[in-house]
Amino acid sequence: MIRILDIAFKDLLQLMRDFKTFMFLLLMPILFTFLFGYAFGGFGGNSDSRLPVGYLSQDNHWVTDSLHDLFSESDLISLRENVFLSPADLEQQVANGDLAAAIIVPHGYGRDVLKNRTDLRLIVIADTSSTAWTSVEAELLRITSRLDGAVRTATIIERIDSERMPFHYAFEKTLDAWNDPPIAVTETKSPAVAKVSDSGAALAHTAPGMILQFAIAGLLTAAQIIVTERKTRTLQRLLTTSTRRIDVALGHFLAIFLLLFTQFAILIVFGQVILKVDYFRVPEATVLVAVSAALCISALGLLIGFAAQSEEQAITFSLIPMFVFSGLGGAWVPLEVTGATFHAIGHVSPVAWGMDGFENIVARGLGFESVLLPSAALLGYALLFFSLAVWRLYASEEK
Amino acid sequence: MENLPAIEVLSLHKAFGENRAVQGVSFEVGQGEIFSLLGPNGAGKTTTISMLSCLLRPDDGDARIMGHSIRSDGNGVKSALGVVPQDIALYEDLTARENLSFWGKMYGLRGSALKKRVDEVLDIIGLRERANERVGKYSGGMKRRVNIGVALLHKPKVIYMDEPTVGIDPQSRRNILDSVVALKDQGMTVLYTTHYMEEAQELSDQIGIMDHGQMIANGTHDELVKLVGGQTRIDLTVNAEPQRILGAWQSVEGVEQASVEDEKISLLVADSNLVLPHLFEAATRQSMRITSVDIREPNLEAVFLHLTGRALRD
Repeated sequence: MIRILDIAFKDLLQLMRDFKTFMFLLLMPILFTFLFGYAFGGFGGNSDSRLPVGYLSQDNHWVTDSLHDLFSESDLISLRENVFLSPADLEQQVANGDLAAAIIVPHGYGRDVLKNRTDLRLIVIADTSSTAWTSVEAELLRITSRLDGAVRTATIIERIDSERMPFHYAFEKTLDAWNDPPIAVTETKSPAVAKVSDSGAALAHTAPGMILQFAIAGLLTAAQIIVTERKTRTLQRLLTTSTRRIDVALGHFLAIFLLLFTQFAILIVFGQVILKVDYFRVPEATVLVAVSAALCISALGLLIGFAAQSEEQAITFSLIPMFVFSGLGGAWVPLEVTGATFHAIGHVSPVAWGMDGFENIVARGLGFESVLLPSAALLGYALLFFSLAVWRLYASEEK
Repeated sequence: MENLPAIEVLSLHKAFGENRAVQGVSFEVGQGEIFSLLGPNGAGKTTTISMLSCLLRPDDGDARIMGHSIRSDGNGVKSALGVVPQDIALYEDLTARENLSFWGKMYGLRGSALKKRVDEVLDIIGLRERANERVGKYSGGMKRRVNIGVALLHKPKVIYMDEPTVGIDPQSRRNILDSVVALKDQGMTVLYTTHYMEEAQELSDQIGIMDHGQMIANGTHDELVKLVGGQTRIDLTVNAEPQRILGAWQSVEGVEQASVEDEKISLLVADSNLVLPHLFEAATRQSMRITSVDIREPNLEAVFLHLTGRALRD
């Protein structure tokens, strides 16, 4: 065990003396996070990651005002109002993907609701095949049901005791009561939020993407240490001491893991504090995903180090997974927007599982349970890569 | 333990696919001796050393290092020996002191014992003053010294040195040869591989000559030279195609063997004084001129030529 620590410490000492490590460890991922974040959404907007929904009211009734207030308070949808836009304009914006949906409140809607009539209904424009629509539809139903329920409740109460509980008072109280419901409901954000052109959502995707991509890129330096060790026969010399091959593998693995985990920790804190990507919303989930991803990528680094015969091969072997795994795994473009087939194929890449884990926390607002499957997948890949690396070490040194 | 051979090699075999790298090599080295394995590149020296270091498992045969079997007691073997590889097997990003400390830990040294031994080894290799410089900034000779120093850290009884003088300047080479003799004086057994016959001749108590994976001769320098029957080697060049004169010279009385390598004709003769005039006469008859003559008294190169028909450097 002590030899494993000795080898890991030696590796870290070597890595820290290499400027390339610092470049790949910190500077490049921070730079690219900004670059991709800007490309996807810029930094000028607010950090609202709710689904954008166009809103056009043609009704001046006070019930319609209450409906507007309910929509405005939604955690899931964000109203985009522009009095200069026509229904046709809204339809175009939905078609362009600029809006997840659009709501048009027809003239007389408030009056009909009050009279418990259903002649007039809300007009909703949406692409019903999109995943965003599912979320918007549920939110619309929830809010309109709440409004309708408040009207009905207030009507009944007014009939019973109109002096002490006039309609308006009962209506307001009923709506307020929904703010403190007897059950708590966790709402999930639609994956389509990634399409939204605002900086918060963009960074919620690009920040984890860059962390994972540059973790793989950083393998280059770590793998080169292993390649050089074998090329200069230092590895062979190690094996003439009583150090076992598995100790050598574990020592290198530990060093790469510590390096990557440090990189993850720094970039997560950077993302939280500077970019306002909410990694700390479920900190234990973030730690689990970071540890699993670091273990997986460290094992990949070990495999590259033992498989490559030269520095040139190490560069190639590091760049290929960086581009293939990152591209395929959705580090650059969210897999949700690529269609079901590519989404499924993308999950061949461990990066896709890492992205799922991080995005479940920072973009989809899910809890600890949501990262268990991605973490298990990452740990599975870690085991596979580590086993192949050890096999490669034993096989190559017997030649 | 005192009468035990330091190294006892018993019919080692190792093949890599069709390539039979080592074929039945056996030899024995007494404690405190320097044994040189001499042979051209590809002769099987490094493969033999690798098996003796427990890096490669032999296909057949065994060897014992200070009584420890390479087949069944790898840890015993490793604790008894220090290995100086042909390459500079060091971490160039680390200083000499950091390298020695790391390797000392790999040999099981810890704490104050490690620190003390690192200082001792730095003194032995003469680099105490520059111990905190990165090895990557050292000259080739200094790196070689650290390379040797690493193998001394755990005070092994046996040291393997695999062609430690390859590619270094004459002064560094001299230092290394002196250090090998110094190790012997301290009672260590040294197994030294080289393809420089002068080194083997200068250092060794015993010499083993390997070729094509086999030990083709083994003994002291004098014993080996006797194998060529006291023959002298004459290397000549002529102003024409060497093959034209080769037949004529082979038939000269006193010429026992003739070969051509790199435009140079090598002859093994019983007495150079008697043979040389006949060589000049034969050349004149063929209208050729001899452009250089190099007479070499019997040595290991001649032994190798005698045994294999090829020069050692090939």
